[in-house]
Amino acid sequence: MRPPLCRLPPWPLAVALAACLAGAGLGIGGCRPREAGEGAPAGTDGAPPAAARPVRGGTAVVGWGSDISGLNELIVPASSVNDEVLFQIFLHLVQEQGDFDEHPPTFEPQLAERWEFSPDRRTLTFHLRDDVVWSDGVPVTAEDVRWTWQAQTHPDVAWGDSASKEGITDVEVVNPHTVRFHFREAYGKQLLEANEGVILPKHAWEKLPFAEWQQGADWFREHLVTNGPFLLQAWTPQQEVVLVRNPRFYDPALPYLDKVVLRVVPDQSAMLAMLRNGEVHFTPSLSATDVPAVRADPDLKLVAYWFKLFVFVAWNNDDPRFADPEVRRALAMSIDRRTIVDSLWGELARIGSSPIVTQVWAHHPRLQPLPYDPQQAKRLLAKHGWRDSDGDGVLDKAGKPFAFELLTNSGNQQRADATVMIQEQLRRIGVEVEPQVLEINALSEQLDDGSFDAALFGYGMDTSLDLHSVFHSRSVGEGNNIARYRNPEVDRLIEEVRRVPQIEQARPQLYKLQEVLHRDQPFTYLWESQRLHGASRRLQNIQSNILFSLFDLEEWWMAPAS
Amino acid sequence: MLRFLARRLAAAALLLFLVLSAVFFLIHAAPGAPGDLLTEDRLPHAQRERLRALWGLDRPLSEQYAAWLGAVALRGDLGVSLVHHRPVAAVLAEALPATLLLSGAAFAVNAIAGLALGVAAARRRGRAADHLIRWGSLLLYSLPTFWLGLMAILLFSHFWPVLPAGHLRSVGAEALPAPARLLDLGRHLLLPSLVLGLWLAGATARFVRNGLLEVLEQDYVRTARAAGVPERRVLWVHALRNAAVPVVQVFAVTLPALLGGSLVTEVVFSLPGIGRAGFEAVMTRDYPLILGVTALSAALVIAGTLAADLAHGALDPKVRHA
Repeated sequence: MRPPLCRLPPWPLAVALAACLAGAGLGIGGCRPREAGEGAPAGTDGAPPAAARPVRGGTAVVGWGSDISGLNELIVPASSVNDEVLFQIFLHLVQEQGDFDEHPPTFEPQLAERWEFSPDRRTLTFHLRDDVVWSDGVPVTAEDVRWTWQAQTHPDVAWGDSASKEGITDVEVVNPHTVRFHFREAYGKQLLEANEGVILPKHAWEKLPFAEWQQGADWFREHLVTNGPFLLQAWTPQQEVVLVRNPRFYDPALPYLDKVVLRVVPDQSAMLAMLRNGEVHFTPSLSATDVPAVRADPDLKLVAYWFKLFVFVAWNNDDPRFADPEVRRALAMSIDRRTIVDSLWGELARIGSSPIVTQVWAHHPRLQPLPYDPQQAKRLLAKHGWRDSDGDGVLDKAGKPFAFELLTNSGNQQRADATVMIQEQLRRIGVEVEPQVLEINALSEQLDDGSFDAALFGYGMDTSLDLHSVFHSRSVGEGNNIARYRNPEVDRLIEEVRRVPQIEQARPQLYKLQEVLHRDQPFTYLWESQRLHGASRRLQNIQSNILFSLFDLEEWWMAPAS
Repeated sequence: MLRFLARRLAAAALLLFLVLSAVFFLIHAAPGAPGDLLTEDRLPHAQRERLRALWGLDRPLSEQYAAWLGAVALRGDLGVSLVHHRPVAAVLAEALPATLLLSGAAFAVNAIAGLALGVAAARRRGRAADHLIRWGSLLLYSLPTFWLGLMAILLFSHFWPVLPAGHLRSVGAEALPAPARLLDLGRHLLLPSLVLGLWLAGATARFVRNGLLEVLEQDYVRTARAAGVPERRVLWVHALRNAAVPVVQVFAVTLPALLGGSLVTEVVFSLPGIGRAGFEAVMTRDYPLILGVTALSAALVIAGTLAADLAHGALDPKVRHA
């Protein structure tokens, strides 16, 4: 798996956001209204009746908003659809699970049947299955693993995620089915980072020199050799990707489905129509407004689960008006998040309080969102010199009114609505907000160079709980620290969390981090929403989770039409 | 004739050059750059720099422009897509058939329906049918195509599910025998081409009606009628041929609308055309692909206009292409 920071770029993110609805706690309607527990895999919603046995065969049509952009993971841009599809045809060493609620995620065997650390945790040895073959019949060996690492770290390949391999000094082939990763030092994400990226076919792909990879998408398509549960049968760009069962897959019982056709459906309303008339059996991109239609349809079911996306207002800490944490707290207390969440989402979202979302094991259990208290906010602002001295209803200081722009990205109605609600709420305490919706590239540029006041935006939580990119001072202008927040204590804690060999031992630091971030309010959290998928009732054992909508697709099956 | 063609082709090449140069500088001036999008797993700075160097985006803009222009003009090389990592020409070649199919079918619907409605309205000038067609076509043309498309999907794929809601073929259709495949393609093209074609036909019908009415008042029509030529022949032969000139020009003028409308229709009906490719290229700042899509669309429009001019010459002997 990639470093689980969400790989949705913000505009699909916007779509995903819109798709984050409907909840645990909401029945799915129809005959089996089972409720999904918080963070539980969505499959519980669509679980077959106990008597039902998986049926082999059938074709499932999956509707997706965008197309894959290539078949070689190392040169395609990170995007959710690329990962979802490529991980069906290529295997990882191990598979990260979606069980984040009680403890850090566990791992299941995939190419590697077992693995162990050395006592000093500086080497990690994987024992590979000896019965996995590439689609051309050549066995998958430790040589593939080593060569994949060489490709991942080669400058000419320029893999977007090559930073995940920086802690690895060598990948050693012990024997054809044993491979050993050597690390600079012991740290918490070793297994995650060793496992980052699918294993590629050395014998087939080493024929193209690395220098030609960036322009080689067609070459890889012509020389496609895979090892996953599904084979790519056909790909018509912008139209469909056809996956068929891999008869050589190491588990002969799987996949259950003969065929999975991923159809590209860019329009949300057309997607709903296709779901309802049976052209599509599963779609990951439902919006809040689609929910009643899906609930009302006896042939459909709603698959809903709490997701990793959190939406917030980022205050530009370099702006003198937002430099003081007390002012940021005052602004947070003037935003009535309850009203915003209730009116935009109903039960499908909850107020956020932390960059570690509520259902995750390391979420601080005692953290409460700041209260909505405009009176207290006014007092705090007055303390910092913001008073309405000229009686025009707007706070001012040194002759300047408290007025700022609140940016958000286009294509997301909830976010645009929220900026207007915040404008109305802050007006009540005498702060003028001007909402502005910007095209995502324009917004990105402003957030990046710090030429903005405040922005309503969303991130997917990094499921490895590394907050470096979002809150470390070194990530200002470089990573995702758009608030331009700098706090040596937070820097130190983030670095400590990184160094702890096993992430569950970092709980005290993670709690402390959340407390400091809560106190300092570089972000004011608005909501965490649910992810919504729509599915045909015939489609069974849907395993969608916080990591992937098509998680364990090989175990999904289709009940015969009644 | 040949000189006319040569002159027009030279003008077209100049126009294409100007359009592409303008777009080149506009997209580089637009905020954002390839790979710069603020996503959670965005590329580290060093990595972005490396990619920029790899793609030649670190060189001065004038140099990039010269290199791009040289490749296009001398070798016809549109470069490599930054997102798809394959030649732009290959991406376009894959997307073109869907756009041509859609706009061709929509054009046919437009021509047939536009002519029929326009003639019908002109013949019944001032009567109920005329008013109905005039107001109906105005209404149709003023509705956005995406809305029309969604309504069509709702009606014909949902409430009365007789046609697919999108794509160019059914799941598994590639295994069918050729006639069945063709039928399948037709079923998929029907809704989008009707939506786009009828939308344009609204404008066409009004042009045809007005052109025809003008012609019907001419002396020669009166003469033909006085000479006892049957009304049907007067209308379809004498009048329409003379009204054909403005009508052909309407078709030429609506070509950009046809292509623009096909972008929207491609999105609503999930068709894999160049409109979709262009939209995604803009969102990801895939400069070479944006330019490629612009070049192709501009070339299509210019070619269409040229064809209309030639048709004009053929229809109207007064126009001499000297």
